[in-house]
Amino acid sequence: MAIAVKLDDLLHERRMTLTELAERIDITLANLSILKTGKARAIRFSTLEAICTVLACQPGDLLEYRPD
Amino acid sequence: MRHSTALPLAYVFLRILVLLNWIFGACILALLAFTFINESWTMKALGVSGMSDAVQVMWAMRGIAALGIATVPINYQIFKRLLKMVDTVRAGDPFVADNAYRLHAIAWLLVALQLISMTIAGIGRIISTEEHPFHLDAGFSANSWLAIILCFVLARVFAEGTLMREDLEGTV
Repeated sequence: MAIAVKLDDLLHERRMTLTELAERIDITLANLSILKTGKARAIRFSTLEAICTVLACQPGDLLEYRPD
Repeated sequence: MRHSTALPLAYVFLRILVLLNWIFGACILALLAFTFINESWTMKALGVSGMSDAVQVMWAMRGIAALGIATVPINYQIFKRLLKMVDTVRAGDPFVADNAYRLHAIAWLLVALQLISMTIAGIGRIISTEEHPFHLDAGFSANSWLAIILCFVLARVFAEGTLMREDLEGTV
């Protein structure tokens, strides 16, 4: 997919685990793993907002367009 | 809705229809065979015995019976697909691509049934005379064609619903 999810990098920078983020944004770990591994087909604005709030970042920090 | 009695009833009703369909087919087949075994009795029963077009009427009736037999496997295919669809609803997972394909196939099978019905009506009209009028319960049916259109539309709705669900399942 041309859109890459950089959640792993952000979590590493914030020294936060995926489980911790899942608990703080109230999303299941399974769904967050799908997002992290780039297997998600779409992301809700509410999810994006919650992640950006907790990780104190911009949507652009989380998503990146990489032409195939 | 979750505890609806309509589904178990539909399931039982469809099972009964499957059985009745085979019985109907067997009866028509027996009737067709009997027209060859005892032709004169059949002609008498049809009220065409001794008439100039008796042989023609006899063959037309055999043709109608053969068409009637042809509807049996078509009906069975429809019931089989409906039963599988009811199963998916009972399992709580009806919006699957298979159901869209099933409805699409059912729509085409209904088209075949309508064409057969119109052919039977056509044969009936050809052999019907003032001396021996035949009133066959067959022919063009606006309701049937409406049901066919409905099936095609519902098949599309199912297909779109399946795609939407797939999208939703991949949404985080």
